[in-house]
Amino acid sequence: MLILKKFLRDVPAVLGFGIIVALCLIALLSPLIISDLERIYDGDLAARLQPPSLEFWFGTDSLGRDVFARVIVGSRGALQVALSVVALAIGIGVPAGLYAGYTNGWGSQLVMRLTDVFLAVPQLILALSVAQLIGRGLGSAMAALALTYWPFFCRTVYGEVRRLRNALFIEAQQCLGASTPRILFVHVLPNVASAVIVRATIGMGFTIMTTAVLGFLGVGATPPNPDWGLAVAEGRDYLPQSWWTVAFPGLGIFITVLGFNLFGDGLRDLVDPRLRRSR
Amino acid sequence: MKRRTFLMGGSAVVTAAMMGERAAFALPGPDELIWADDLPGTLDPHAVSDVPMQGYMINVYDTLYVNKQNPPKLVPWLATGHTVADGGLTVTFKLRDGAKFHDGHPLTSDDVAWSFKRMLAIKKGPAAAFLPVLDPDGATAPDPTTVVFKLKRVYAPFLAATPLVAILNRRLVEANVKDNDWGQGWLATNAAGSGSYIPDIEGYQPVQKLDLKRNRDHFMGWSDNTAPIETVRRRPIRETTTRVNALIKGDVDCTDSYLPPDQVERVMASKTATVSKDQSMRLMTLRMNNKKAPFDNLNFRLAVSHAFNYKGFIDGVLKGYAVRNAGPIPVNLWGAPQDLPAYELDLDKAKDYLAKAKAEGAPVDREIEIHIQEHLAQTTQAAQILQQGLRKVGVNLKIIPNLWPQLISSTAKPETTPDMWAHWVSSYFIDPENWIGQMYDSQFHGTWKASSWYKNEKVDSLLHEARGLEAKDQRQALYEQASRIIVADAVDIWIYNGVELRGISRRLRGFNFTPIGSGADFHTMWLAS
Amino acid sequence: MARFVLHRLVLTIPALFGLLVLTFIMLRVVPNDPSAALAGENATPEQIAEVRRAYGFDQPLWKQFVIYVGQVGTGNLGNSIISNRPVLRDIADRLPATMELTFVSLLFATVVGIPIGAIAAVWYQSLFDHAVRVLTVAGLAIASFWFAIILQMIFAMELDWLPLRGRFPEGLAPPYHLTGLYFVDSLLTLRFDLFGRAAEYILMPAFTLSLAGLASIARFTRAGVLETLQKEFVHYAEAAGYRRLRIIWVYVLRNSVVGATTQIGLLFGGLISSAVAVEAIFDWPGVGSYAVNAILSSDYKAVLAITLVVGLIYALVNIMVDVVHAWLDPRVAEKL
Repeated sequence: MLILKKFLRDVPAVLGFGIIVALCLIALLSPLIISDLERIYDGDLAARLQPPSLEFWFGTDSLGRDVFARVIVGSRGALQVALSVVALAIGIGVPAGLYAGYTNGWGSQLVMRLTDVFLAVPQLILALSVAQLIGRGLGSAMAALALTYWPFFCRTVYGEVRRLRNALFIEAQQCLGASTPRILFVHVLPNVASAVIVRATIGMGFTIMTTAVLGFLGVGATPPNPDWGLAVAEGRDYLPQSWWTVAFPGLGIFITVLGFNLFGDGLRDLVDPRLRRSR
Repeated sequence: MKRRTFLMGGSAVVTAAMMGERAAFALPGPDELIWADDLPGTLDPHAVSDVPMQGYMINVYDTLYVNKQNPPKLVPWLATGHTVADGGLTVTFKLRDGAKFHDGHPLTSDDVAWSFKRMLAIKKGPAAAFLPVLDPDGATAPDPTTVVFKLKRVYAPFLAATPLVAILNRRLVEANVKDNDWGQGWLATNAAGSGSYIPDIEGYQPVQKLDLKRNRDHFMGWSDNTAPIETVRRRPIRETTTRVNALIKGDVDCTDSYLPPDQVERVMASKTATVSKDQSMRLMTLRMNNKKAPFDNLNFRLAVSHAFNYKGFIDGVLKGYAVRNAGPIPVNLWGAPQDLPAYELDLDKAKDYLAKAKAEGAPVDREIEIHIQEHLAQTTQAAQILQQGLRKVGVNLKIIPNLWPQLISSTAKPETTPDMWAHWVSSYFIDPENWIGQMYDSQFHGTWKASSWYKNEKVDSLLHEARGLEAKDQRQALYEQASRIIVADAVDIWIYNGVELRGISRRLRGFNFTPIGSGADFHTMWLAS
Repeated sequence: MARFVLHRLVLTIPALFGLLVLTFIMLRVVPNDPSAALAGENATPEQIAEVRRAYGFDQPLWKQFVIYVGQVGTGNLGNSIISNRPVLRDIADRLPATMELTFVSLLFATVVGIPIGAIAAVWYQSLFDHAVRVLTVAGLAIASFWFAIILQMIFAMELDWLPLRGRFPEGLAPPYHLTGLYFVDSLLTLRFDLFGRAAEYILMPAFTLSLAGLASIARFTRAGVLETLQKEFVHYAEAAGYRRLRIIWVYVLRNSVVGATTQIGLLFGGLISSAVAVEAIFDWPGVGSYAVNAILSSDYKAVLAITLVVGLIYALVNIMVDVVHAWLDPRVAEKL
């Protein structure tokens, strides 16, 4: 309860949390908000590039589609992609980190060298390479992002496990004869969880941003996906007159990433101020 | 400590620099044109035949005849005239005196004959128009000002097609041949021409940057232009909006010839630029790879043909700058049947055809792909409109961004040719052969125009016959008949025949549009101050 | 110190080697049969087999890898499909432009970010501090490509204050090539007019790029200064009567900047990533726009070469950052 009180005092973090909750609600309830999800794919070609009005809150795009509806549905896509990527990155990174942190042999070294390799190149560049390999599209973008993000989880968990490894209570468990998996999952993991959660929250924001960049470059989502990055790219040809085609998707990215960043920061301050170091 | 060292080192460098040379600089003056249209993927005019190459070739190289004005007329250029003998099988050209290449050597009939030989031997680009009727040794040079062509068959479009073949400096190219490659490796990044502008190869950056300097000794002279442009700086800008904005700002003097209709009003309203709207024969088409299932099934193709919102696209996106074109020949050219029924958007029919196709075993459930040209928004828009229609009948269409050079090289084999792709067929020479002939005669398989891989014996024989006749009305009947068969077979989706829209700066004068080259003939241009 | 540098270098080598392996795998796994592509469109099966032999594609995989490493070592990374020139030459041509953009952005982010962060910490809980906190978080949430487009729309299209695209006006000869960085060269050759033009063109791209870095550096400086201000030696200095400004400048800043410095390495990676989109938007002739074009054209040799080159530069920058870190905080070097 003390933690909750402390959290509530951090206004930006609460704001962030609020944004995330609102986003999830919108994403879940979008079928209700937008009467017919198919509408986002259909456009009235006679009503192209209409400015924001009562009928079309955010105006229409170059194919006559409702920008408001597309931005809302885009939030679903963004959250889905981000969740999948982060889940995948956790799925690879956390076990790897546990293993590398707890054991001492060449296996541990190998895992850490592997993280070095994947961290040797900035994420976007590696994502471009992978997209080149698997072919462009949302699936390959997600795979690429997961591949480039797992090292962060691995490193975080590695650091924590190393710290805990020499703790008294672990030694006690070893004396009692507990098996390594048991120690790892029942005792070490819960202590590591908080760091992972913080990392994951910040990672969500970062993933949404990178997915948008990939969509913008034409390497991620493909039409008619209402991906925000793709929408900005498509709307670019109609500036400056039809500014709404670019402004609102960009705003969507901004608010979403802001929400996750604020909340993530708040979590980090709450859980462990020492973790201020990295992304 | 570090600060002192830095300052000492810094002043040493500065002193050294002051002793050094100062770079001379030139301000963009009233006699420099900044041309922002696309550069061709290679500088070898025998390697590709597409719109960017046309725009490049007409300035740097000369041809036997050229096209001028709109509607285009064939005008003798390197040749002074021609005669036809043997019922059309022998064509003799007389060359004018005084034509010289950029390196000073005279242009003779030997260069002409050799250029045709090279073009036919390499079998790329412009060769498609000549391979059926001319052997590599079919061009001979009996004397320095005469070239004789011996055709294998009568070929009515022969004269109209001569502007496709650039005349190369034989001596120069042969000096740079490696491993029997006819100099292709070298010519891809060099020039061997005689045209009114000389490219600055030193500063050439492929696809990005090329400067051209006026050729004062060009044989045609410059008497028709009192203030010709001395330097043309070609700086392609790929992004459409950026290009249009650069034009409006006055940074560049033109856009490409695919200006989006959405931008026309904006450009015309600006103080710096205007739009040249020129009636052309430019057909927009969505190709279907007839060799890849399910596109090998007629019912499937018919279904797709009924899933595109033609009216919405032409009225909404093209804003009236185009007319519906039901078949492969532009409606304003002879050979296009005037009463040809056009496919229209009809989702119920589409569903029926789809069901029939499925019953026949076509894999209608697989995801099909359409490749669009990244920087040409109309291709994306057309693809998305088709996607919308197909969604409603249950077909999944995936849109893949791609670029023109990659697309045309992928059409060499049916396996690498995309399921569908969007492009235009512009005027390379004014004859139905340029459209229906090179698109649907199976002998052209492997070229980008014939990328639907369509094979129909009847159509082949009709086109073959039309190619070999002289009389226009006879040819017309054959082309019309072939059109009907092709449209009934729903080989591709033909959308519109359009007006070419190009943004040009208001200071640019002497922009004389002709469909071949899209008006990019710098010879006649001058700049008002 | 030298041992420290050596140690860091040695640590980097396995990572770079791993990167080589990774790119090699990608090269060999590319769907198209490279022999067919090399032999040309009309090649016969015999010709394709000949090419396969000549290029060594029929050798066992490990032998191919050795050949590959040799090629990379001698700088032969293949030819670009688009330009038909060696990829490395294309990249070398364009690298100065990207380096210039990145360094100017980094400079701006540092020169503006550190003071802002420090002042916010010193004026803790003031309006300025709150504003800084909000703006820095916002700065990290703005998509750089979106921001670039908006900037371009406002300043280049609507107001016409700044140039729309490119690095230098067409037709104007760039400064004499000493480093390839127009900023530096124009100053070194005392061509202040050219310096002005170069500045005009780099302003929007660099500002866009620096935003995330600025936010990050400001945050970490602020956190670092706050932490340091709590330390005992500061209280002691205050009690001893030193002026506040001197305390901050001489003692506090040096200790706090450490946190910001370690960020720069990571930031550099972020800068390169953002540079890809920003270069594409402003038509900045650097490696980023080259990468975008390469991936759209499926010029896989170019993409892999860029991966390797960027990886190498990134590694070198990280080493340099660590060296600076050790110089600022000698305890780091001593740990070895």
